[in-house]
Amino acid sequence: MVEVYWFSEQPYGHITDEDLAPYESGRMHFPNKNFDPQKAQVLYQNYHDQYAWADEMGFDGIMSNEHHSAYWCMKPSVNIDGAVIAKVTKRAKIALLGNVIALNDPVKMAEELAMLDCISGGRLISGFVRGTAVETLHAGISPTENRDRFEEAHDLIIKCWTTPGPFRWEGRYFPHRMVNPWVLPIQKPHPAIWFPGTGSPESVIWAAQHQYPYMNLGALLDLTIQLKGIYQETAHEMGYDPGPEHFGYLMRVLCADTDERAYEIGKTFLWTQTHRQRGPIEFNDPPGYQSREALRIKMTRPMIGTGTIGRQMTYDDLQAAYNIVVGSPETVIKKLRHVRKELNPGYILIYGNEGLMPHQDVMRSIELLGSKVIPAIKED
Amino acid sequence: MTTTLSGRETSITVAGAKVQMFSGGSGPALVFLHGAGGSAGWQAYHQELSKKYTVYVPSQPGFNGTERPEWVYTINDVAHFNQAMVQQLGLDHYILMGSSMGGWIAAEMAAMCHHNLRGLILVDAAGIKPENSDIAEIFMVSAQTRLKQRFFDPTQVPNYQQLTRQLSPEEQQVEHANREMASRLCWRPYLHNPSLPHYLGAVPTPTLIVWGKQDAIIPVECGELYQKALPNATLRIIDHCGHSPALEKPQEFLKTVTDFLSRLK
Repeated sequence: MVEVYWFSEQPYGHITDEDLAPYESGRMHFPNKNFDPQKAQVLYQNYHDQYAWADEMGFDGIMSNEHHSAYWCMKPSVNIDGAVIAKVTKRAKIALLGNVIALNDPVKMAEELAMLDCISGGRLISGFVRGTAVETLHAGISPTENRDRFEEAHDLIIKCWTTPGPFRWEGRYFPHRMVNPWVLPIQKPHPAIWFPGTGSPESVIWAAQHQYPYMNLGALLDLTIQLKGIYQETAHEMGYDPGPEHFGYLMRVLCADTDERAYEIGKTFLWTQTHRQRGPIEFNDPPGYQSREALRIKMTRPMIGTGTIGRQMTYDDLQAAYNIVVGSPETVIKKLRHVRKELNPGYILIYGNEGLMPHQDVMRSIELLGSKVIPAIKED
Repeated sequence: MTTTLSGRETSITVAGAKVQMFSGGSGPALVFLHGAGGSAGWQAYHQELSKKYTVYVPSQPGFNGTERPEWVYTINDVAHFNQAMVQQLGLDHYILMGSSMGGWIAAEMAAMCHHNLRGLILVDAAGIKPENSDIAEIFMVSAQTRLKQRFFDPTQVPNYQQLTRQLSPEEQQVEHANREMASRLCWRPYLHNPSLPHYLGAVPTPTLIVWGKQDAIIPVECGELYQKALPNATLRIIDHCGHSPALEKPQEFLKTVTDFLSRLK
């Protein structure tokens, strides 16, 4: 099986290298005076049109996410974007990848997600994320608490969905004496849960222990294959045999009528790459946020795209590594078939636009992917 | 990272957790509590003080490679831990001295129980929120920035080269773990306890507050607020000095401290 999901970070594409250069970092230090709400409104409309078009063209789902203090992602609330997707699409699944549950009230998260599942008629996939370190810093929470808060929030949300209220929750971080969310999800016992990772083995193990599909965001193919191996080992220890339905892989993909045209448009995938995560290491790796082993693995990842820490790679390097796939439908089919052969993911997440990639080119890419590429790889 | 002259390094167990302890000298007991960077071990000023006092320099829980007891989340928890440590050492009448985060711990301990305290020394102490300025960010800044924040003039720090040398991989791990523990303890409220000034009004212990005038991390205003909060406190400000007077102005610092100690009953 393979399902294909459309994904856009919804970048505020008007930012340039020159805008970013004077500042120590591209996130916490880059002042929001550079944000123009009027321009954002136009961009949001384009991104929502792309959602509707992807739904119409046959994508299995739309994936969304959340970041804070990030010019390359205008989504501080994945649930608001989920509500938009629920209303502008008719059939696509809504994969939220996801809610930064360590930083929010889990009871409210459980309520909002249940509401989304109801509104969408049971199309919700609820991803839970730890968030990048900057998300935690932006929330004013000690990075040392992130993992414990995440695990408690996860347990409380699941309990909200599976245990009739009212009940008491005496947690360390989220104590509630009366929990009784009125709105519950359509899907029983609850919507599917996905868990993403960028390279940390702890994340892979946690996902496998809970039998949650693991979505790798931004690692190179060879590393992702290694991480898949960790998932499989853990799953076998837990007593089950994982299949493609337990793995997803995110790639940057742009399809155009010709290879040459796609190559030109796809260059925008490198938009502001040298500035995106620039800044003190303390923003991306504050003490207590992650293990030293997780950091070591992240250092091997490409530095652009969804990455937070890593090594520089060129446009051509990234294409050779299947991290960026650009081309005509024939070329894209060939490359996606290679990824399927090597990794056999049950979910391919297509990171389909970047920067100020022209809206009409993105819409054409969605059309070609939906009409030619997706049917071809599903036939395999 | 750790300096030893003639202080003896031992290990004691407090509340089930191991504490790295340097101690030396003879005379009345003096306990020194380190800052957020961890214990630097037995320092030259400990050696000087040990000529007249029995000086104890413990590591705080979770620092210097020691384990963090599961229940230690806050500076208040650390203060309770240190009360247990003092009791275990059998110190029924002692002088308590703390620098930066250690000063905050010392102030919390004094607020909990001052009856066995002969004197209290707070050095560029965290713990009170300034009213007209801010405590500088120390967690979300680079190592280079942290170093710049610490000293007013690095050329007057006698062992500056030693402080800035390349750490071994093991030392780097300890340093990272120290920062992790400090982050856990001090993140929110940031390096202060809003209730602390209110507790301190009931602490009659003779107190010396020492501050580097140009402290770029915890402004001298915090020293003034400590003086205001404590009924029996003297503030001594050292000019041309940053956050670590013991390192940047060692002689002036030591004289200030020993003058205060000599006046204690």
